[in-house]
Amino acid sequence: MAAEGGGRTFDLSVVTPDGPAFEGEAEMVIVPGDAGEIGVLARHAPLVAMLKAGEIRVKAGDEWQSFAAGPGYFKVQQDRAIALVDDAVRAEDIDIEEARREAEEARAALERAEAGDEEIDRWHMEQRLRHAENKIAVAGR
Amino acid sequence: MATVQDIKRRLRSVRNTRKITKAMELVAAAKLRRAEARIEALRPYADRMRELMIGTARATPSRQFALLEERDVGNVAILPITGDRGLAGAFNAQILRRAFALEREARGEGQTARWVVVGKKGRSSLRFRRYDVAEAWVDFTDRPEYSDAAAIANKLAELYTEREVDRVVIVYNHYESALTQRVVVEDVLPIPRTALEDEEEKTPYEIALEGDFIYEPEPEEILKRLLPTYLETSIYRALLESAASEHGARMTAMRNASKNAGELIDRLTLDMNRARQAEITQEILEVVAGADALTQ
Repeated sequence: MAAEGGGRTFDLSVVTPDGPAFEGEAEMVIVPGDAGEIGVLARHAPLVAMLKAGEIRVKAGDEWQSFAAGPGYFKVQQDRAIALVDDAVRAEDIDIEEARREAEEARAALERAEAGDEEIDRWHMEQRLRHAENKIAVAGR
Repeated sequence: MATVQDIKRRLRSVRNTRKITKAMELVAAAKLRRAEARIEALRPYADRMRELMIGTARATPSRQFALLEERDVGNVAILPITGDRGLAGAFNAQILRRAFALEREARGEGQTARWVVVGKKGRSSLRFRRYDVAEAWVDFTDRPEYSDAAAIANKLAELYTEREVDRVVIVYNHYESALTQRVVVEDVLPIPRTALEDEEEKTPYEIALEGDFIYEPEPEEILKRLLPTYLETSIYRALLESAASEHGARMTAMRNASKNAGELIDRLTLDMNRARQAEITQEILEVVAGADALTQ
């Protein structure tokens, strides 16, 4: 007999404003909750949680897939889980050189803003830096 | 009368213009298809977000959130969403016209307008009229990213919560088709209460079916962050609609320009043939007259 919950799947979507990053059956998903990682198997109790920027890991079939995701929300309902995040890039699609470059540019812009350049939107640059750093962290794993 | 040389020169110039307008039409058409796809791609996210917000609002009685707070309006922020470039028919002009009408309305009610703007066209118009622009976002209107919308939403929320303005309206082109764009005025702050309610009243049974959710953290905390996300999504949708409208308007404008150039070319070709014919006739007359003079 299979172990409890083993092999059982549920519907999972990882959705961003630019479309779904993952859609399909999953056995397990681990998301970066605000208060710590949340792991979900099939038949999980209904849940709504906030997510911070980090890594979303999905076990579909026999393999694990990994995404660098921005902050967002997570909802589980009747064997259906949805992660709504403002950005999600598959780990193997991350161009680490480009991510480093983005981080560099954002850092430089923040320094200029620090020096008094008012044309730069600081908040925007901070977000960009955080995104780039998150991508670098996930790809380096 | 223009000589054949003159007409030839004009023809060459009009032909070159048509080459440019044709190319711009094709580019706009390609960009329009992409922009349409991005509006489609946003829909699932926006719908699920809204569901989540409605559900969370149901779980918490509190409505004491900064972005929901309705106040007497003293200052109103007007955000026209224009493009960075022209050559798109009435696309920019109709947005600005409506925005200025809104300002007059606000003034008529004793309110003061504060300007924030998206797009170089809008920014230069406002500066030309010597309006004080609190913030301008430029250089992305033909391909807006979610992070652009997030930056705008963040600034608007800041203006609102620091009580610099008591109402925020956005004016943008809603994309209907390549031929028609409709100017829409939308209140984004305070966030309308209806955004937290289902369009159709749900029965307690339906609500019970959705299950008893565990909220992590408390629903109130989640709602507090969902409201700004909702604002970001509304702005992002408006930016995408506006981008699609801009490409549609440019495509149509350039198609008309190409058509006009074509008609002009036809007419000039006719003129040129006529002028050439006249020249030849003139030459024959001169030869004949010369020959006549010799034989006499």
